[in-house]
Amino acid sequence: MESPRTPLDSAAPTLTVWDLPVRLFHWLLVGAVATAMITGWLAPQWWMGAHLWSGYQVLALIGFRLIWGFWGSEYSRFASFAYGPGETFAHLRALVFLKSRHAIGHSPAGAAMIWALALLLAGLVASGLVMAGGEEKQGPLAGIASYQWGMAAKALHGPLALMLLGLIAGHVLGVLIESRLVRENLVLAMITGKKRLTLSPPENIRSARPLPTLLALAVMAVLGAGSLAALARLPPTGIYELAANPVYAKECGACHHAFHPSLLPASSWQGVMAGLADHFGEDASLPKAQAEAIAVWLIANAAERWDTEAANRFRTLDPAQPLRITATPYWTRKHRDLPKARFAQKAVGGPANCNACHRDAATGLYADQEIRLPKETNL
Amino acid sequence: MTPTKFLLTALMSATLASPALTNPVRDGQLAGLAAQAKKEDAGFAGFSAERGRALYQARFATGKAETPSCTTCHGTDPKGKGQTKAGKEIGPMAVSQNPARYTDPAELEKWFPRNCNQVLGRECTAREKGDFLTFMISQ
Repeated sequence: MESPRTPLDSAAPTLTVWDLPVRLFHWLLVGAVATAMITGWLAPQWWMGAHLWSGYQVLALIGFRLIWGFWGSEYSRFASFAYGPGETFAHLRALVFLKSRHAIGHSPAGAAMIWALALLLAGLVASGLVMAGGEEKQGPLAGIASYQWGMAAKALHGPLALMLLGLIAGHVLGVLIESRLVRENLVLAMITGKKRLTLSPPENIRSARPLPTLLALAVMAVLGAGSLAALARLPPTGIYELAANPVYAKECGACHHAFHPSLLPASSWQGVMAGLADHFGEDASLPKAQAEAIAVWLIANAAERWDTEAANRFRTLDPAQPLRITATPYWTRKHRDLPKARFAQKAVGGPANCNACHRDAATGLYADQEIRLPKETNL
Repeated sequence: MTPTKFLLTALMSATLASPALTNPVRDGQLAGLAAQAKKEDAGFAGFSAERGRALYQARFATGKAETPSCTTCHGTDPKGKGQTKAGKEIGPMAVSQNPARYTDPAELEKWFPRNCNQVLGRECTAREKGDFLTFMISQ
């Protein structure tokens, strides 16, 4: 028997299996997915901007890969790894007995993994876009997706990401096992693009076709940009232009952050405005006409009118303190990891001072990426 | 206070302080408070910045427990900034720092009852209000 451990640079002929675009695609995708996982699971919420960008990168990479799957070089083409279930099953069964046959491009089991990864990534991008649009009122779907859609997508996004993590582990493990079985460093192959040619040289190897690729990319870019521009023209669902109210800003804003009216339901605003003489322990009495005018404005623009995350969340009140935003279950849950001393520091001045950390508090949107905690200082 | 010192002080306040610190609305408010103070107490003999300072710094046990003094929110130095319990910054109370202070009767009507109730647990007398204003004008 010949020595099976023929090094790559020895007499065995090599073939460039993974063309440069596919290799770039693969490692850029690794970077984007790693960024998405770190910013989604580990980084603080204000890294949401980076998370969204990594998602857009995945989307762009998928777009490119779709085109390259038709006009790339032989082993980038979908046709070269569209195995039927019979072949895939046979390969998987062979793997159980630690036997594998050397495939020039994707092996049947490898191809199954690629398709699964691609489907999951597409699902993650789609659910992420619906989430961003519905829950955060950001991105291209803000004008279409309601908060409810956003929440439904959220219920998918996390589990899909976990599944992706599992599949990535399977993919890496599969590559390592297959590398041993076929005695070829498959990780290196995805860097250099070269694999040993142990099978008879294939006939009719199709080469990449740059012109159709560029044309398709141009069409995709134009269509993508066009539809994004069209979607961006749609006003975000459940958000309205709120005319400035100077009386509210002056009278209520004198003592505390002038809360966006969407942060409490109408019943709570009614209660707040009816009890100004003892306003959370403060005498905040106002002339009757002024108090009534402010109450009318607050109630007309209360949480019921909005479809933002805050408005939806703060409709669920603390039954014991239905007038206090900072007593709502969602507020408490979102801020419970912050130590009390953080709120007490002078730059914050208490939990009611939303805009100490939420730079967009005045809009009522409370986007994740607009959070900035002031520097930690002693009192 | 020696007569010379008194004269000097009077001269200084007349030449230096007055132009910035007089304001027809504020003076009118003070005059109105003086008239009322006389009505409330026949022995009233003018407002005092010193009594105003004492009022500003005093700790009362009659109002809300968490706000025993004006200084709780406004800070010990009337020329400095304060902060409300909800974290909002309060501009300096001293007229030297904000010449527009106490020139809107509606604001005075709003804040005196609120804050006196809050800190003293009762309405302030005309003399207390006048003393307070006189102290802030002197600062």
